[in-house]
Amino acid sequence: MYRMIAVDDAAERQAQLLRGSLDMCLLALLAAEPAHGYELVRRLDTAGFGAVSYGTVYPLITRLHRLGLVANALEPSPTGPPRKVYRLTDTGHERLSAWREQWIQFAGVVNATLDVKGTSA
Amino acid sequence: MSTSASPVDDLLAAADRQWRTLGVQRGDRLALGTDLRAELEAAQADGLAPAELLGADPAAFARRLAEEAGVERLPPRYGPILAAAFFGAVVALIVGFVLATGLHEAFVAAFDLPRSVHVPVWLAGGGFYAGVAAVTIAGSVFTVRVLLRDAPRIRHTTTRMALLLPPAVAAAVAAAVAFGNALDYPLTPFAIGAEVAIVLVGFLATTVLARRWSITSGGTAEAGGRP
Repeated sequence: MYRMIAVDDAAERQAQLLRGSLDMCLLALLAAEPAHGYELVRRLDTAGFGAVSYGTVYPLITRLHRLGLVANALEPSPTGPPRKVYRLTDTGHERLSAWREQWIQFAGVVNATLDVKGTSA
Repeated sequence: MSTSASPVDDLLAAADRQWRTLGVQRGDRLALGTDLRAELEAAQADGLAPAELLGADPAAFARRLAEEAGVERLPPRYGPILAAAFFGAVVALIVGFVLATGLHEAFVAAFDLPRSVHVPVWLAGGGFYAGVAAVTIAGSVFTVRVLLRDAPRIRHTTTRMALLLPPAVAAAVAAAVAFGNALDYPLTPFAIGAEVAIVLVGFLATTVLARRWSITSGGTAEAGGRP
């Protein structure tokens, strides 16, 4: 019982952390290489995020497109209809750099705080 | 029961229902649906099941997609609008009747028409009831405007109510009179109930029409965030 609660808690915590950083990670993945929607899901999995659903990624890509951070183009597919492939715009690259710096600074503060707590415990 | 030909159609139908419920405009629904169809069909061609892609709750997915796309949402809110319109109409009907009766008595007491002047009964009666109807409609429109002042496009809705309700109520009253005339004006609960129902249905249907008109016209901003 306790173990189940702990697993649920860890999953919830993971989801919260992901919520605040997934858009940035999507930009980073697209900066590395353009991709279509469900390819991004695979890449997130490969990167170690676990099973992030397409139902989460597609609306997020929609927002990034609305903000002008990603653009898309139809590319032919060998298996069926053309697929929409997303890539970063110049604004997207700039935003990613800014977010990356902010994240590194923030993560540094969090890590330092955790280290202090860890040594005093 | 679904009669769609493919899982993609089923999912898009579920998403479209959700977008309608949220009040997403037709143009935006169409654009979101077209993009989503292209994605799902491409995924299906790559051997992925569309239903698995969107997860167990396509309605929640559609809601999230509409939010992230930043599309304009105009929830119809027919229920509260009809309730407010009906409530306002009933109160205003009583006020209008008392007001018209009072004015009639005041005018009769104040002015003595010469015997040479003949006012037709239909004109006097028509004027009386038209006055009551005008107050009723004005009260209904005013009540909707005040009680639902925070609802999107409520000003457009009340403007259209003010435009549509007078002819619609006149037509409904004429239909009720024709109905009564066909039965030779019996004073039975059925006949009176049917006449009231005819006017009420006309009034409520026109209110729905006014609301629908206001949310489907002029608010078709493009979904700028469609991928």
